Parts: sequence; C-alpha cells; structure tokens
Amino acid sequence: MIRNKKVVIVFIAVLCMIVGLFGKTVELVFWTHEDPNRTPLEEAYIEEFQKMYPEVKITRVTYPSSKIKEVVLTAFAARKGPDIFNMEIQDAYPYVVKERVAPVDLKAIGLKSYDELLSMYVEGTMDPVIYNGKIYGLPLEVTNWCLYLNKKYFREVGLDPEKDYPKTWEDIVSTSEKLVIRDGEILLRRGFDFRYPYYFTEWLPLVVQLGGSLLSEDGKTAIINDEAWLKALQFMKDWGPQGKNLGSPTYQPARNEFNRDNNSVTMCMSGLYQIDRIKAQNPEFYESGEWMVVPFPVFENAVNDVRCNYYGHYYMVNAESSKEKQEYAWKFIDFMLSHPEDYLVQVGLIQPKNTLLDSEVFKNYPYADVFMSDLAKSQPVPLHPKGPQLEQLIREAIEDVMLTNVTAEQALATLKKKANELLQED
Amino acid sequence: MIFIKKKTGIEKKKARWGFIFTIPAIIFFSVFSFYPIINAFITSFYKKDLLSLSKPKFIGLGNYKYLIHSESFWNSVKATTIFTVGTFIPLVIISLILAVFISSRKRFQKFFQMSYYSPALLSSVVAATIWLLMFDPRGLANQFLNFILNTPGKDYKWLTSSGMLRLATIIVYFWKYIGYFTVIFVTGIASIPQSINEAARIDGANRWQVFSRITLPLIKPTTLLVSVMAMTQCLKTFSTQYLFTQSGAPLKPIDVITLNIYNTAIRDHQIGRASAMSIILFVIIMVLTLIQFRVSKAEEVQY
Repeated sequence: MIRNKKVVIVFIAVLCMIVGLFGKTVELVFWTHEDPNRTPLEEAYIEEFQKMYPEVKITRVTYPSSKIKEVVLTAFAARKGPDIFNMEIQDAYPYVVKERVAPVDLKAIGLKSYDELLSMYVEGTMDPVIYNGKIYGLPLEVTNWCLYLNKKYFREVGLDPEKDYPKTWEDIVSTSEKLVIRDGEILLRRGFDFRYPYYFTEWLPLVVQLGGSLLSEDGKTAIINDEAWLKALQFMKDWGPQGKNLGSPTYQPARNEFNRDNNSVTMCMSGLYQIDRIKAQNPEFYESGEWMVVPFPVFENAVNDVRCNYYGHYYMVNAESSKEKQEYAWKFIDFMLSHPEDYLVQVGLIQPKNTLLDSEVFKNYPYADVFMSDLAKSQPVPLHPKGPQLEQLIREAIEDVMLTNVTAEQALATLKKKANELLQED
Repeated sequence: MIFIKKKTGIEKKKARWGFIFTIPAIIFFSVFSFYPIINAFITSFYKKDLLSLSKPKFIGLGNYKYLIHSESFWNSVKATTIFTVGTFIPLVIISLILAVFISSRKRFQKFFQMSYYSPALLSSVVAATIWLLMFDPRGLANQFLNFILNTPGKDYKWLTSSGMLRLATIIVYFWKYIGYFTVIFVTGIASIPQSINEAARIDGANRWQVFSRITLPLIKPTTLLVSVMAMTQCLKTFSTQYLFTQSGAPLKPIDVITLNIYNTAIRDHQIGRASAMSIILFVIIMVLTLIQFRVSKAEEVQY
C-alpha cells in the first residue's frame, strides 16, 4: 500500500515536470474600465474561454474610467502595456496612428476579409478604428446620449412631460427657467445641466447644428464658421452664472443627481447604460416609471439636424504582444463580443452589430428606439492626434464665457488663434 | 602652520560603519531621485512623443525656448507663485503661533498636537474631495459665509471666480499641512533649554520678550527647516488643483507648474517639453532653497 502511494507520488511529480517543461501557458493581461454590471459577465466569459482553451490564462484588471487613460498611457510608454485594453476612442485613437495596436487578426476570428467583418456592423460605426485600410479594434459599445427627464418635476410646475418635453435648445432654456428652484444665486434644483467637460461629445453638436465645424475638410484649419461658434458660446454664457444662471460646471454632475431623484436636477444627458445605473442605484425610482428618455435637442434655426456625437469603446490588442498572444487575444475578444444581447440586457451597452439591432431583445429594450433614431443622425466625436488639446481649448473658451466676464467674441478670438497655432505645430 | 587632526582608529572605524549604514539610503536616492532627475534633464533636450516608438529627435534647447515664449507656461508660473506666496507665508507664521500656543499649555498638549496633525494623515485626494463637497454652491462654505455675513442666498463662487478658486486651493492646502508644521515647531521649541527661559524670566522679561528675544532666534534652524519644506511642498502642489479641475473648476487660475507638466505629458504626450518644465521647477526650488539657507546663515544665533 505504502509502496503504491510512493509510485503514485513519483508519477504525479514526473507528470508535473513534463507539463512544466513542455506545457506552455499563454497569459493574457486584459485592462478595462470599472463597470460593476460588466464585471460578472466578462469574468464568466473568461472562465468559459479558459475551459475552451486550457492553455490560456486571462487576468482581467479594472481601473476607474478617469484613471485608465493615464495608466494605459504610462504602461505603453514603458513598453509594458496590457495585451488587451479598451478606452474611449478619442483617447485610443493615437495608439492606432502611432501603430501601438495590432490590426484585427481575421484568421483568429474566423473571417476571410475586412468586408466580411464590416458587414456585421452598423454602417459607419467601425470608421473610427479604420486606419490606412486596416481595422484596429472591435466595438465593445457605441454610445450616444439622449435627454433623460424626471416626469414628476415636470408635472409639479404644470408641464406635461409627454407633450412639453424640450425639443429644441430654446425649449431647454425656457423649460429650465420654469423648473429651476433657487435660494438667491444658489441653484437648489436645476432644470437641465450639461455634462461638463465632455465638450466634444455634447457641445460640439450645438456648433454643427448652427452650421459650424471644428476642422476644415482638409483638417488644416480649426474653428470654421465664426457665426455658429459665437452663437454656441453665447448660449453657454447665457446658460451659466453670468447669464440666466441655470447651471454651472461646479455643481455635482447632473446625471448622478438625476439617479437619486432628490429634487436637485430634472433633466440630464446620458447614454442607454444610464437605465441600468438608475436601476442599480435607485430601484424605487426605476420602478416608479417617473422618468423617460427623449431625443437630443436641436436649435430652432438649425442648419444641420445632427444629434449628440457618438463615441465608442473598442477592444484593442497590443502590437508588441507576441503573435501567439495576439491570436488568442483576438479569439477572446471575438468570443466576448459574440454575446451582444447579454451586454445589452445586463450592462445596457449597445454593440453596433446588425444581428443585435434586428433582434427582438433590442426592439423591446426600453428607449432603444430613441437612442437608435438619434444615432442615425449623429456624427462620431472628432478624431485627431491633437484632439485632447483641442477639446481643452474649447473647455477654456466655454469656462471663460460661463464663469468670467470674457465675451463670446473675445473667447472665440482666443480659441481660434490657439487652435490654429496648435495645428501648425509640427 | 596647519595642524590636521588625524582620525584615530576608532573614529575611522565609526566613519566607515557610518558610511556603510548610509549606503541603502544613497542607493534608494540614486535610483528613485537622482536617476529620474538625470533622465528628465536628458529628455528635456529631445522632442519625444510618449506613445511613439520612433527615435526621439534631439532639439537642444528647443523645449526651453518654446517654454519661454509659451503663454501657458507663464500662466503656470503666475499660478504657482500666487499659490506658494498665499500658502507658504501663512503656513509658516500661523504654525509658529500655534506651536507657541501649544507649548505654553500645561495640559492637553498632546490632544492639540493630534488634532492639528490629523488632516496631514489624510491623502491629498481625500482632502480635496471633502473640500470639493464643501465648496459646491450648495455646500458648507457658502452656508457658513452666508450665516456669518448675513447674506442669504449669495453664491461666493468658490470654484468659479478666479480669486475665490485660488483661495479655495490655498485653504485646502493650509488645512492639510498646518498641523504638520506646527508639530515640527513644537519640537523645535521643546529643544530650547528651559534654563534660558527661566533666566530671562528672572531678569524680568515678559512673555513677548521671551518669545521675540529668546524663542524666535533660537528656533531659527527649525524655522529654516519649516520654511524650506513648506515652500518646496507649495511649489510641488498638484493633487488639489488636479482634482478641482477634474471636477469642473476652470483650469487657468490654478494651472500650477506641476499640473501643466502632467497635462503636457499625459494629455499632450509631449514628454520632452514636460521634462523641460520639471527641470525649470527643480532649478527654481533649488535656487529659492539656497537663498533661504544663505539668508538664515547670515543671522545665525548660537547658545
């Protein structure tokens, strides 16, 4: 008996040595932003994938949305980046341009051509990751924002939310003036407030609606159509503490207060995912049905009927990872993204796959139709290697007009000068 | 004739052991401080994109020339100067006053020390977050001022008007570090031999005379230490300004040099330019520290 035991032990030890010597584990490091609803889903996919490919071990690490940008950047700068990661596309775009991420491995995901891949997605939604004829990412989510409103507060001031919801930016101002509650200069309840400082996503469409644009078609000149920019900047001046005092960047973010339903904000701008966040944070409010989602407003005299710019999170693969790792990374990404309905139902994320949009699950999902009809009229956030600096300059201009005595004309002159100087820098 | 005192065997041995004991600190300093400084100095002569894999381009003093003509850099110098002067002077003076007050107490000395010191234990991010809630237009800061000044409903624009925003960052920093420097002063005052104070009292000196003629001159090394540390800390301030701007406060009035370095490196990916800025900040800190040492050495007092 004892002898048998010894034989078994020796056999196991030899087996372990053989596995150690010849059995190779591929370790994939996967960095993503915190999303409490997504974590259990993706952890389950990792487990499933590891069963399908026992030689693969995946480590999923999450970082706060505000931190992941710098964590990934410093890791890539030190050439120690993760094998798989995702960020907002405007932050991830320089990784594509600087060739730090690998193009999609078609063989690994079982496709024959890029056309076949593109045909799986809603037209245009892959554009942000196409560069020099190659595709560099697969979309985890494409997000546009619509207007969430609290019906209770509308009724409280004698408005019918179903009929009187704001359709134009002029309506936003007039409705907010009715909804606002003040203690002197202090806003106790805001009607609506912007989502500061996401100016590329939420504010730039106001300029485009009025006929302006950030860049000329050749991309060499910034701030096109002064009149449109002036109107949009004046709108912000009138909105802020120097004007009608309807909102300001220094109050708590409107979307967080909206979920609390604590009489501090009536309308906010957010994506479809907000529905799941309301459900998680304030189930009572969610169940009450006292909230609704309506389209992104458009100016009365808009030249272009564009809605909130959409942005995306695309899973990308580190170009410096070994070929073997890259292959498994794409296989794993493809595996995760082959469950778009789960992502929609459990996390509230829209993967722009045609199969999802045609599904009953999507059609029956609350307010999915509002988001999709807006998305059809949306443009992607501007993608430019100097995008973050340009957005910062816009931020400075808006803060100047909203919070100081700087006029819209002065702010525009400074913005135009600095933005064009920035573009001319080599 | 010059006499050189030769070290005895024991002294030599002691010195050798002393040197051996400092080796870990020297290695630590070399790896984590000296190497990054040298590296930043070299990088400051290159045009280097943080993400690019291509070879950085040597541009000599290009980054420094750019900074000299950069409006944003000079705005940062201004923001840093306002913050440092506005924080460092009150920090040194009030921490000294508090230290004298605590040292003069016969009871509750430890309690006062602990109370004043406790904010220093908080991380800067937590401290800034707490104060952000207070500076919210509906927060405690407005409520307090409106109550005191009888101005109901007035928004003092803590996070929007340039002056108030600067004051807000100064308050956060002052609140966080006042206890830390007070404790250092308390230690300095405690090291003054009691016999000197007693002799002065016997000679008829009043409290003010004891403080101004005995305490103040004798704690000059501590004052120097506190002023150098406070000034250095103020010049390196970052997290308060970073968190405030992340939470919607305008960047320009509080765009201190460290925040500009961070944005230039992380947002703009211009690591060469960011390194040049950090070298300039390093030189500013070093020069100001040397000036403080010089000034204090000229008035050295011994007992």
